[in-house]
Amino acid sequence: MPMHIGEKDFKARVSKGLQDDFMRGAVRSAQGRLQNNRANAAEELGDWEEWRTLGQQIRQHTVEHLDYYLHQLSEKVAELGGHVFFAETGEEANAYIQQVAKDKNAKKIAKSKSMVTEEISMNDALEDIGCEVIETDLGEYILQIDDHDPPSHIVAPALHKNKEQIRDVFHERLGYAKTEQPEELALFAREKLREEFLSADIGITGCNFAVAESGSFALVTNEGNARMVSTLPKTQITVMGMERIVPGWEELDIVVSLLTRAAVGQKLTSYITALTGPKQIGEADGPEEFHLVIVDNGRSRILGTEFQEALHCIRCAACINVCPVYRHVGGHAYGSIYPGPIGAVLSPLLSDYDEYKELPYASSLCGACTEVCPVKIPLHEQLIMHRRKIVEDEKKSTLSERLAMKGFEQIVQSANLYRTATKMAPFLTTPFSKNNVISKGPGPLRYWTDARDLPQPTQERFRDWFKQRSERGDSE
Amino acid sequence: MKVSFFITCLGDIFYVNAGKAAVELLERLGCEIDFPRAQTCCGQPAYNSGYRKETIEVAKHLIETFDHSEYVVGISGSCVYMIHEYVHLFEDGSEWQKRAIDLKNKTYEFTQFIVDVLGIEDVGASYQAVATYHTSCHMTRLLGVKEAPFKLLSNVKGLKLVDLPNRQDCCGFGGTFSVKMSNISEQMVDEKVSHIQETEADLLLGADGSCLMNIGGRLTRKGIPVKVKHIAEILNSRGEA
Amino acid sequence: MSKGTITNRGKFLKNIRGKIGGISPDKPVEKPDWTVNPQRRVMKDFDQDQLVEVLDKQCHHIHTDFFLTNSESLQETLDQVLASYQTRSIVYSSDNRFHTYQLPEFFKNFAKKPEHEVFKWNDENSEESISFSERADVGITFSDITLAESGTIVLFNRKGQGRSVSLLPRDYIAIVPKSTIVPRMTQATDYVHQQVEKGEEISSCINFITGPSNSADIEMNLVVGVHGPIRAAYIVVEDK
Repeated sequence: MPMHIGEKDFKARVSKGLQDDFMRGAVRSAQGRLQNNRANAAEELGDWEEWRTLGQQIRQHTVEHLDYYLHQLSEKVAELGGHVFFAETGEEANAYIQQVAKDKNAKKIAKSKSMVTEEISMNDALEDIGCEVIETDLGEYILQIDDHDPPSHIVAPALHKNKEQIRDVFHERLGYAKTEQPEELALFAREKLREEFLSADIGITGCNFAVAESGSFALVTNEGNARMVSTLPKTQITVMGMERIVPGWEELDIVVSLLTRAAVGQKLTSYITALTGPKQIGEADGPEEFHLVIVDNGRSRILGTEFQEALHCIRCAACINVCPVYRHVGGHAYGSIYPGPIGAVLSPLLSDYDEYKELPYASSLCGACTEVCPVKIPLHEQLIMHRRKIVEDEKKSTLSERLAMKGFEQIVQSANLYRTATKMAPFLTTPFSKNNVISKGPGPLRYWTDARDLPQPTQERFRDWFKQRSERGDSE
Repeated sequence: MKVSFFITCLGDIFYVNAGKAAVELLERLGCEIDFPRAQTCCGQPAYNSGYRKETIEVAKHLIETFDHSEYVVGISGSCVYMIHEYVHLFEDGSEWQKRAIDLKNKTYEFTQFIVDVLGIEDVGASYQAVATYHTSCHMTRLLGVKEAPFKLLSNVKGLKLVDLPNRQDCCGFGGTFSVKMSNISEQMVDEKVSHIQETEADLLLGADGSCLMNIGGRLTRKGIPVKVKHIAEILNSRGEA
Repeated sequence: MSKGTITNRGKFLKNIRGKIGGISPDKPVEKPDWTVNPQRRVMKDFDQDQLVEVLDKQCHHIHTDFFLTNSESLQETLDQVLASYQTRSIVYSSDNRFHTYQLPEFFKNFAKKPEHEVFKWNDENSEESISFSERADVGITFSDITLAESGTIVLFNRKGQGRSVSLLPRDYIAIVPKSTIVPRMTQATDYVHQQVEKGEEISSCINFITGPSNSADIEMNLVVGVHGPIRAAYIVVEDK
């Protein structure tokens, strides 16, 4: 699975994450900063909830009429002289992109950040036919030269690395001889990548939002690399996940405003670049040829299901930035290029439960993700929905869990059984208890008592107290 | 005002003192309390694990149990939220859904009931301690009760309330999460414990027994001498420390 | 411009339509009236002076130098900024507004100084335009629409208005006629939407530029100046 990263075993990935103290420190401080920035940006607007409502309405309407808007988009792009390819699978998308590269006799390809190209392993496909693909987002560039270390965050892909590690990678691979100061590292990358932009045959961009009414594409960056990629090479290819579209410019305003605030707390990022077709006659810069690749790759399977809202995602990573589970295990533990709460929702949908069956359980259902989502995706409810699917449709829950739940149902439905069970609790647990505290629990309780004590159930239940009190007529 | 008390399963067997305190206080505030003995668990363990059919059966049982109640007051924000969720378990427009809506409309979390329904912010309590308060996730985010506990605690004489850093963070309980993903849960509760230590408070308060059981269990395991109490116990106190 | 190709659309959209019960593509979907429009309330009744104030404040947050001047003093202000950026080479877009403010005159004088160079974007000579921009110290453009809330220069890149001028040089200066300032992005996107409605051709590249380029990819530390300009200045000028 191209989406998949790291070791196969979920538990092994989690342990690795939990043991990586630097990564956890980096993630903790990044989360703190991003959470603050987002909260300030939301507060500054004053009516953030209204913005979210509008964002939700726009995304819902668009996804509900996706066929119409994709049709309109493709018509407009073709009218402007661009070429549109609809790819149902990653393989189809890659084959088309390979063909464009061959037709152009391309050697070097400069690329700005795009999750969907990661998802379909586009770089590998292009390298297979002898092209050199250069990631130009600073974070992606760092990962690429470090032997293709996978991204751990959808907005800040190198979040798990510290500046000393980055200095060492630059030194080993590129002969960098300066300090670990971020300014010096960035300046070095700037100079290296400038050469690449100027000599690239093809520029490839992702797509934050396509605008159906005009056949335009909005790219949101801070670094300016997407501008470079769409200004200098003669041929441009834009790859978009099929749901990344809005009806018109009025809606573009809203989703961009939500994205930049939710992602990094900025009112707008340094560059929002809206591209419409290839350059026009008489213009001196910009691509002469424009290709659009619209990718399904499993997304249409989500349409019309209870998970449809997952397609409303605008990839801001706000849910990742507030998630306490992500904070402790890091992005790689999810085993998917889409980590965090949205990753736990999307990965099993784009792939399957065999590969990602643990992810829906990697959440305490605290709801922090749902609370920050700028387009109001009920993320924690979607995780519960996954668990339900796993139980009901996939029948992948364990027998012991099923038996426990069946028992639970019978006990709590029956007042008598329930009363007996709670009455028995203190007696059953007494052998394990010391000073009214259980430190080594029996059965599954041991997972609880591995880390914490359990109070011993009290001999007198609340209901006993209440009953006796009523009988005595104590109450006022 | 007639109130049916909803103790929750953890409250019934682990947090008996919280239940007693809540009942005594509500009575002092003029409520007439009854305790429908058929009540059991809210069904959240099954619901959150994806066992919807089982949850529906539990929900029907509780709906029937509280059928004739005027108000239902529970001492866990999380369990009260679960009762509010029943509405989504049943088919739109069905008879069961109507009954679930009825139950939702009359069911309140304990502090929410005192502040929003009784309209009381000072319950006349006094308690000498330096305390910090854990805001539980379901109660604040999902049930939307954010201010009530703080309003009530701010009027407790002798109580010094210290802000808990990163109080919005989950304590790591998460029901079966604490067992299924126990190593992640442990890191989360450890982080919560270290924030509690930062406050130098000697008392941790909360309005959800499950979170308190989780944090309290970690505190005693690590031998940290911070006492843990349900907010009802403080609101019902009259000067003892 | 010859029409481009569309490949594999029928099957692709049919599959989607099967899932969401979509409607026939030739029957237009009516966009609903959104129930809320908070964007329309932002700075609704602000006059130009209030907007200038907002822009000024926002510039501090986006690491951008802000200047307010009038048409008589524009050359002086520009000279000041160029000096503070140790500028020797300038590229500017081919835009009539430079003439309106008598700037070609100013550039001519600037170029007379030793080792100084000035280049006006030339669509006829793409290679030279790009390579000069690439080595220029400063790129200068006029702003087409300016967003007060975010501190954003909107450029409708077109003939004469090359994409590279605001991108490749080391530093970037935007001259902002006061009348171009609007509250926020909403007014700019409204403008483009109206162009689309009227069937007008929209610019092939519309840039929303907010300060210098930056990145926080290394330990979430903000580094100003990554691929695009390292410094940015906005000079707001009373309209002539």
